[in-house]
Amino acid sequence: MVQYPSIDWLAISPLVILLGGTLLVLVVGALTKVWPRGLYAVSTAALSAAALVVEMVLWNRVGHEGPVSIINDALAIDRFTLFVWIGVTIATGLVSLSTADYLRREDLEGPETYTMYVCAAIGAMIMAASNDMVVLFLGLETLSIALYVLAASHRRRVDSQESGLKYFVLGGFASAFFLYGIALVYGAVGTTNIARAGQLLSQQVFVDGDDALLLAGVALLMVGLAFKVAAVPFHFWTPDVYQGAPTPSTSFMASVGKFAAFAAMLRVLTTALGARADDWRPVVWVLAVASVVVGSVLAVVQSDVKRMLAYSSIGHAGFILIGVEAAGHAGDQDGIPSSLLYLLLYSVLVIGTFTVVTLVTRSGDRASDIGSFRGLGKERPLLALAMTVFLLAQAGMPVTSGFIAKFSVIKAAADNESYAVAIIAMVASVVSAFLYLRIMISMWMSDAESGDEAREKVAVPWTAGVVVLASVVFTLVAGVFPGWLIDATRDALVVVR
Amino acid sequence: MFEFSSVDSLKVLSCRTRMTSLPRVLGQEVIAGIFPPTMILFPAVVAQFLTGALFLVGFRRRPNVGAALGLLVLAASAAVVVSRGVGADEPLTETIGWLSTLGFDLAFRLDGFAVLMALIVLVVGFAVLLYSLGYFEHDSTYARFVGLFMAFAGSMTGLVLAADLFTMFVFWELTSICSFLLIGLNDKSESARQSAVRALLTTGAGGLCLLGAVGILQVELGTTAFADLVKLQPVGGVIDAAIVLILLGAFTKSAQFPFHFWLPGAMAAPTPVSAYLHSATMVKAGIVLLARLSPAFGQSNLWRWWVVLAGVATMLIGGWRALRQTDAKLLLAHSTVSQLGLLTVLVGLGWSTALYAGVAHLLAHAVFKVALFLGVGVIDHELGTRDVTKIGTARHRTPLVVVALGAATLSMAGMIPLFGFVTKEKALVALLDAEVGAVGVVALVGVVLGSVLSVAYSVRLLHALVGGADPEPDAGGVDHGGHDPGSPLVRGLLGAPVIAAAAVSLLFGSIAQRVGKWLVSPSTSLDASAKSKLVLWPGINDALVISAIVIVVGSVIGWRAPLAVPPSREKRGSRGERTFDVVYDATLGMAKRLTRITQPGSLPMYVAVTSVIVAAVAAAALIVDGLPAFEGFVSDSPLTIAVTILTIVVSIGVAVVSARFTAAVFLGGVGYGVAVLFLMRGAPDLALTQVLVETLTIVIFLLAMRSMPRSFAPASSWAPAPVRIAVSVAAGVVVPLLVLAVHGARTAPSVAEEYAPRSIDEAGGANLVNVILVDFRGFDTMGEITVLAVAALGVVNLVRVAERHRRVRERTRTAPFRRSAILDELVDRWLSKVAALVALYVTFRGHNAPGGGFAGGLVLGGVFVLQFLTGREPHLRHRPIRRPTTLLGAGLLLALGTTAAPLLVGAAPLESHIWKPHVPLIGEVKIVSSMFFDLGVFMVVVAVVLMMLLSLGARGTSLVGDDGGVAS
Repeated sequence: MVQYPSIDWLAISPLVILLGGTLLVLVVGALTKVWPRGLYAVSTAALSAAALVVEMVLWNRVGHEGPVSIINDALAIDRFTLFVWIGVTIATGLVSLSTADYLRREDLEGPETYTMYVCAAIGAMIMAASNDMVVLFLGLETLSIALYVLAASHRRRVDSQESGLKYFVLGGFASAFFLYGIALVYGAVGTTNIARAGQLLSQQVFVDGDDALLLAGVALLMVGLAFKVAAVPFHFWTPDVYQGAPTPSTSFMASVGKFAAFAAMLRVLTTALGARADDWRPVVWVLAVASVVVGSVLAVVQSDVKRMLAYSSIGHAGFILIGVEAAGHAGDQDGIPSSLLYLLLYSVLVIGTFTVVTLVTRSGDRASDIGSFRGLGKERPLLALAMTVFLLAQAGMPVTSGFIAKFSVIKAAADNESYAVAIIAMVASVVSAFLYLRIMISMWMSDAESGDEAREKVAVPWTAGVVVLASVVFTLVAGVFPGWLIDATRDALVVVR
Repeated sequence: MFEFSSVDSLKVLSCRTRMTSLPRVLGQEVIAGIFPPTMILFPAVVAQFLTGALFLVGFRRRPNVGAALGLLVLAASAAVVVSRGVGADEPLTETIGWLSTLGFDLAFRLDGFAVLMALIVLVVGFAVLLYSLGYFEHDSTYARFVGLFMAFAGSMTGLVLAADLFTMFVFWELTSICSFLLIGLNDKSESARQSAVRALLTTGAGGLCLLGAVGILQVELGTTAFADLVKLQPVGGVIDAAIVLILLGAFTKSAQFPFHFWLPGAMAAPTPVSAYLHSATMVKAGIVLLARLSPAFGQSNLWRWWVVLAGVATMLIGGWRALRQTDAKLLLAHSTVSQLGLLTVLVGLGWSTALYAGVAHLLAHAVFKVALFLGVGVIDHELGTRDVTKIGTARHRTPLVVVALGAATLSMAGMIPLFGFVTKEKALVALLDAEVGAVGVVALVGVVLGSVLSVAYSVRLLHALVGGADPEPDAGGVDHGGHDPGSPLVRGLLGAPVIAAAAVSLLFGSIAQRVGKWLVSPSTSLDASAKSKLVLWPGINDALVISAIVIVVGSVIGWRAPLAVPPSREKRGSRGERTFDVVYDATLGMAKRLTRITQPGSLPMYVAVTSVIVAAVAAAALIVDGLPAFEGFVSDSPLTIAVTILTIVVSIGVAVVSARFTAAVFLGGVGYGVAVLFLMRGAPDLALTQVLVETLTIVIFLLAMRSMPRSFAPASSWAPAPVRIAVSVAAGVVVPLLVLAVHGARTAPSVAEEYAPRSIDEAGGANLVNVILVDFRGFDTMGEITVLAVAALGVVNLVRVAERHRRVRERTRTAPFRRSAILDELVDRWLSKVAALVALYVTFRGHNAPGGGFAGGLVLGGVFVLQFLTGREPHLRHRPIRRPTTLLGAGLLLALGTTAAPLLVGAAPLESHIWKPHVPLIGEVKIVSSMFFDLGVFMVVVAVVLMMLLSLGARGTSLVGDDGGVAS
């Protein structure tokens, strides 16, 4: 006899809205002629907005009624989940809007890209909410497969195809490790449920040598997750894929992809393996330090802006890992909030940045070398100003959101007396300031070169303009008034256990 | 000490409402942030930023309106500072909740020193902005200048009002960025850009040092407020680290040795920028920091020695370099470096009278340096040159400005009766009295030598102003170097601030006693004991004697120093700049090499690195906690061992051979080997399925490979072969070990133990594997066949798309298969019919014996493959089901129907029903409903095989068909 789980439809309604809505757009879009300019994007953004409203309602509900575990403990609906959902939904809406004119420019117009975004977002949301490692894997694959397709979705650029293939091969590799890790952990604990594994592990006492299985499982889980967050030394795919993929897809990967992977990492490590923090914390420490150093140093010498930003995203991942490491200390209250805060702020920042890059790469999506930014300050001063804000924020300048993000993780590390990692991170961020500087110099201070006049002018369609404006406003508002966001991330500490 | 403000109550409010919706909280925070009741300092700072933002974003067409608004805001802010700060009993403090939850807020405090510094920032800003109205063309660049200028003024005001180190750090970084953007505003030359980068990186790195100090102090002492630090007088090893970081911050910002190199380079900026940022305000930030913290840390020897040595070295280097410049502006730049050194020594020494003298000299320097910079700017504007050998002619054009310049120069030299004299005398007196041991002597000697140099370069500048070239024959004629001095209004705007500043220098000198009283409040707000006074004429004392000697010696050196300097000596750039460039280039070069090594774009390498790391981590876990138990895995059956070895050999073959076909066949061989192992371990179902799948896979591989090159591309050469082999072996050893570890650690009972007893009762089947597939986990199978169907459709469509593209290009001939008449006959006539029966049998017996829908489908699929190999399409046209897609759909529907049917009778989906009708002749027949499900699976599998064959093989067979025979 099959046992049916009860389903809390309100709790999963954001997923239902997104899935149903995007399938509708896909089917109707496939049966009708090309829609008017920007309509696919706007309808996708509207879907995100609808999901966002429900998420806000849920946020309040969880506030009143506390976190719940739904569908036979498959999903955890707590403020941690909802915070990530809200972030992912916003990011999906923004990226959709920034894609609108891109597809038209590249002659790729159609609803498929948006459906891929939404499917990937659903995967990401399942990952964040999963209270079971098998469900988590399901979400991971939903996200990953959609991302592979997105990376390869520029049909006329060989770079795009190559990046899709590379991402697929390496991603499949990492997913396999992750799955293996789940199996090993299951073997050691006897459950794949994250909350229950946490309870069992906190009671279970391993005799020396008895926990090899668990350790190997944790190691493999870490490999899979580290690959997804692009932490050194599992970062190899990032520069090649970020550079080759269509720029809006890159922006999606850097925002939603990171958000989901880190959410999953945080939940698995702190909830399921919280009792084994002493085992995984050193691993995270190494990943964090390697990522900030390699990401910052290598970013500086790239001559391609997308590649630069890929390395810089590795560096940012390292910063977030510092927060994760902090979360592994006993009694820590700052690690998870600071990581979540960083993720949200960085997502918006990186979408803004890549939206500007999308516009600057011009028709063909090829002009992403640093020289393409030459003279942007004269040609499109406002766009260049916005880019400057994004770059300064990524460098961690005060009064921008980037400062708040970096400051909160470094403080979390310092509070747990992880001084070494805090110092290394600060030095690395000086080095990475070079990189943002180089783009700024190119925009504002470089002399025009011969042939510049012949270049296509940078066009700013309203959809992309809205995304840039919204990102700038958020970057500054969050930089000046971060209190409400910090409070919200604090609320995310209460999770299903 | 704790200071509460009304914001705290708002914070409490926002805490209480925290659990309400996000937007409402956001709204409250924003409102509380923008309109804090009873706040005045913060709004003053914000107003400057807002004015800046306004003119950065809009109003590009009317930059002079922007400048006017900026002047208004600066004046209003100055009024606020004076009305609230001067004569106040208790300093005004404000706290803005910013990162409250992290323990950091913006805190402002309008004490005496803050009033002095804020007034310098605002008043000088006012003067310079006024001057800029005459200096710039009124175009959109000017609008951007006004915007950035106001933003900078806001940052600087915030910096000097800061009540704690954290707040100061925030504004500190903002000044660095604003200054970078101001320099970058309209600079065309490569060297200017390089200087801007050097300046930003040096000061930015210093800023982060400061952040480090903030962290240490917050963690160690729980506060970064200056007042608390002075009260605590902290000492200790960790505090020493903080001291070093703070000093690094101060030295980089205020261009102290060894970071003095960036300042002269940054002087490539337009005159108003140099005058404001690089002389009067921004470079003073380090001095402000030292002044704030000297009372807290000044008693530490570490602090004292560092400060004095850096300050003295800077004074001497700056003074020496100033003697060798031909560009008047660069002369001033180096003199600024030298004066900053003097200020560092005075303020950082930790001696209260010296601190007082330092504060006084800070004011004096701000006044005379503004006059000098702006004055040289006027001369540049008039003559189009700043060469010290040529600026002498300026006195015929703008005599008033030249006189003002002269006065300011005399103040810089420390000549009576100017304000510079008063403050320098005070400095000497303070240093003579200082009782701080050897460091005091070093400071005194350094300051005396530095003063000689500063008199010397001042005299050299005077020499340039009064002497130099004779008046040009056609004064006021054509030779303006292309520069039009402009209208009287412009000249007035340019000249007025110069004259005013010089007048202030003179005035402050003559009312020295009163100014000295004004300065008591600023210096005592830093250190309560730093109370002293200023006098214009101190009477004959030691200091005066030293001064006299200094002036005489300095004048002689200055007058004799050549105005013209061989150009080769000044072009080279300073050693500091070169060191910076070497470090910079080395960093970039190293990173470039590192990228080339670690990121060659080679997929095999990425995979290899990942594998090695995983293997290493897993191996570490296994080694730390002991290797798994091997019991039950060691086989003594010779057949098992033989098959295993064979399989290993074949799998090595897969990796070694270069031909694709061979590799595919070898891969199949591995599969068959595994199938044999399955069989021997008692899993006939698995073995059967494995064999069938392998067969089909090989065929499909072969079909697909016909249109690919015969051999693989040359092996990737990311590493020498031994390394690659080692990587493979490592991964190959660790993964099986992990498998063993998993198996050895089983704690829960096997599912077989749970399912086996239920199999016959609940599902009516004896073959447990099949029962699991069609009943216990039937939902999974349903999902799987759906995925299978989708995948098949995907393959068909992809091939179709590829075909369409190919048709446009040349048709590539692919090798067809040979036809054989006998085989043809055999297969067509007999095998296919028999096989169909066998397949159905396999399907239906599956519930109780090895077999099932998957296996049955694969059997029939294998027959189609055979048919296909004979060179023709499977004979579907004679069959009722013409298109495999129809078969696919029917199969899916059947499976779905079986799944859903029990719902109609109120049972759970897929619940099995067992009928045992009695059929004549045969006897009792047992029919289980899940058999129909399996039939659906069968149909789907057959359809998928057909679709693959038809789509991938269509080209080959059709070619054969066209030719009617064997090709090539």
